Amino acid sequence: MARRLRLFKEQMTKAGVSPSMWSTRDDHFDLEHLEVKLEELEAELLEINANNEKLQHTYNELLEYKLVLEKVGELFSSAKNKAVAHQKELEFQTTVEGSIDSPLLLEQEETTTKQIKLGFIGGLVHREKSIPFERIIFRAARGNLFLKQGVIEHPVLDPLSGEMVHKNVFVVFYSGERVKSKILKICDAFGANRYAFSNDSSKQFQTIREVSGRISELKATIDAALIHRSTLLQTIGYHHGQWRLLIHKVLQRATMDCSSQVVAIFQVLETTESPPTYFCTNKFTSSFQEIVDAYGIAKYQEANPGVYTVVTFPFLFAVMFGDWGHGICLLLAALYLMIRERKFASQKLGDIMEMAFGGRYIIMMMALFSIYTGDASTTGFIKVRSTYPFGVDPKCHGTRSELPFLNSLKMKMSILLGVSQMNLGIIMSYFNAKYFKNNINIWYQFVPQIIFLNSLFGYLSLLIIIKWSTGSQADLYHLMIYTFLSPTDDLGENQLFVGQKLLQLVLLLLAVVAVPWMLLPKPFLLKKQHQERHQGQSYDLLCGTDDTLESESQSIAHDHDEFDFSEVFVHQLIHTIEFVLGAVSNTASSLRFLAHSELSSVFYDKVLLLAWGYNNTIVLIIGIFVFICATVGVLLLMESPSAFLHALRLHWVEYQNKFYEGDGYKFFPFSFTLLTDEDEL
Amino acid sequence: MGFSVTTLVFAVIGIVASLSTRICFNRGPSANLFHLTLVLTATTCCWMMWAIVYLAQMKPLIVPILSEGE
Repeated sequence: MARRLRLFKEQMTKAGVSPSMWSTRDDHFDLEHLEVKLEELEAELLEINANNEKLQHTYNELLEYKLVLEKVGELFSSAKNKAVAHQKELEFQTTVEGSIDSPLLLEQEETTTKQIKLGFIGGLVHREKSIPFERIIFRAARGNLFLKQGVIEHPVLDPLSGEMVHKNVFVVFYSGERVKSKILKICDAFGANRYAFSNDSSKQFQTIREVSGRISELKATIDAALIHRSTLLQTIGYHHGQWRLLIHKVLQRATMDCSSQVVAIFQVLETTESPPTYFCTNKFTSSFQEIVDAYGIAKYQEANPGVYTVVTFPFLFAVMFGDWGHGICLLLAALYLMIRERKFASQKLGDIMEMAFGGRYIIMMMALFSIYTGDASTTGFIKVRSTYPFGVDPKCHGTRSELPFLNSLKMKMSILLGVSQMNLGIIMSYFNAKYFKNNINIWYQFVPQIIFLNSLFGYLSLLIIIKWSTGSQADLYHLMIYTFLSPTDDLGENQLFVGQKLLQLVLLLLAVVAVPWMLLPKPFLLKKQHQERHQGQSYDLLCGTDDTLESESQSIAHDHDEFDFSEVFVHQLIHTIEFVLGAVSNTASSLRFLAHSELSSVFYDKVLLLAWGYNNTIVLIIGIFVFICATVGVLLLMESPSAFLHALRLHWVEYQNKFYEGDGYKFFPFSFTLLTDEDEL
Repeated sequence: MGFSVTTLVFAVIGIVASLSTRICFNRGPSANLFHLTLVLTATTCCWMMWAIVYLAQMKPLIVPILSEGE
């Protein structure tokens, strides 16, 4: 239909008809009727064009015919007049000479008889070809013919090419058929048009009248046809704009429908495999999500660890880095990156700078938490009368009891924070299992894990708190060791509260029971589930035996659900061992929290204060310079990444390891550009 | 008594921060839940940090030496 509209536009342009500027409001036009109407109009227009061409061709031929007749008539009249004059002259001589010339008259009559038998051909030839035409005819007939040409003053419309051409009228007199055939071929070669006419003057006039009449009729017919064509094109132009708009609308709708089909196909694909995962992030949360994704991409609809990572990751870093002065340095660096955000985003950065810029919000969060934890754990002296309200008593700094106290504090803090983090991870696994309606994972994964972890290490955390609260001097290490080695012996001086022995026995028993609880039920229950599904498929097979396609489909499904009990059992065994040993090693790895502040104290005391003690300006300047270099070079650029990596490991192992499967894959939208790149690769 | 009072202070700060975030950055139910989670997690972490240090100093096991001269 668009092609037909283009054809109509072309025809209108030729005819000088312009499309209508305003379109009608025919809303009841529908597409099928439009197509039929366009088809009819196209056929009509093509027919009119063909008829016009034929009429024009015939008209041009008749015009030439008329010209030929007129010129040939003139030639014949002239020849006749000459002949008459010649004859009279001969008669006059005969009369004068008397009876002596009688034989001559008879001879002349014989000549006339021969002349009647000559043939002749008349037509039109191009003027620029007339001279070669004449020469070739003479040579072909060996001079045994008579040729006469006449010039036509006005250009003639050529029937074949439709162009105005200068032409000559020619008449050829010849004798014999062989000469005639030669002349005909030469006329064809030169593109000369031939027309039949009679040598009788009266017939010539009659033919001229007939041709003139036909010419007049054709002229009238051609004019009428042109008027009709013009009317048709105007009618088309009247509706052209509206039709074009309608077709474009339909094309757009079809395009959208095609897109919809693509979406439908995509939905069909969804049933064959697990869908990709997509988490919506902004510039603040995207870097934290990257930390999680580095461990693994979440399975479809799995709980996202990235949510808690936004807070817990910087906090763990701060617990290790824990220095308000250096925290301020980090904060200034992060603020600089954030203020220059727009400039750096559009600029090509180096590898290290690119990484720092990408993580500028992580750096900011780490800095803020570092300042807080630095305040919260500032060293100080412990007053005898009352507890220091916030942070460590500053009077503790510099005394001999500082180091033992701080080390003890940080080890216990590490255990408390580590156990809390692991519990958070296990609780997340509960929400995952609840969401996926996986009761096996709730009762035979989540519950025994909680019991095991808190029977041992949760109890240790409780003992730490009780010891702090009561001021007991119990040795927790010996206490934990003897709980396993000799649970029934008397606690002695390590007893913290009444009934502790009995409680420890119960907790130990719970921990022992929790391990097989994790290990054994799940594989057997999975096997049972598989058998139930298998029996169901067997029933289906029996019902659908007649249908071979359905049988094949069932067999394919059966292959997909192949169950290997030993593999499942081994997998569960590895998982259980990993959890039990992981609980122990993860608690120990929490001691990474101890790292940072010792270095800071060393540099402060050994470099700056030492330089100050000399009371020398030069030495003081050198001391300050060394201190600044040590601060920036060691504590900020080396210690920060170290604390970062430790926090990363703790976060991955202690937190995500407890619940996160991370066996999905990330969502990428479809793009032809990517296809091209892949093809090139 | 000091422990309880300061814990209450942390709780109040947490509630105020949650309400402030809700009022200032109201972006729809999903984002609001996310913001609430972040605020509560941060408050809990800060409280734990303070509480651990405070508890450790309530009844010191190692008797401090006030001066090296003694």
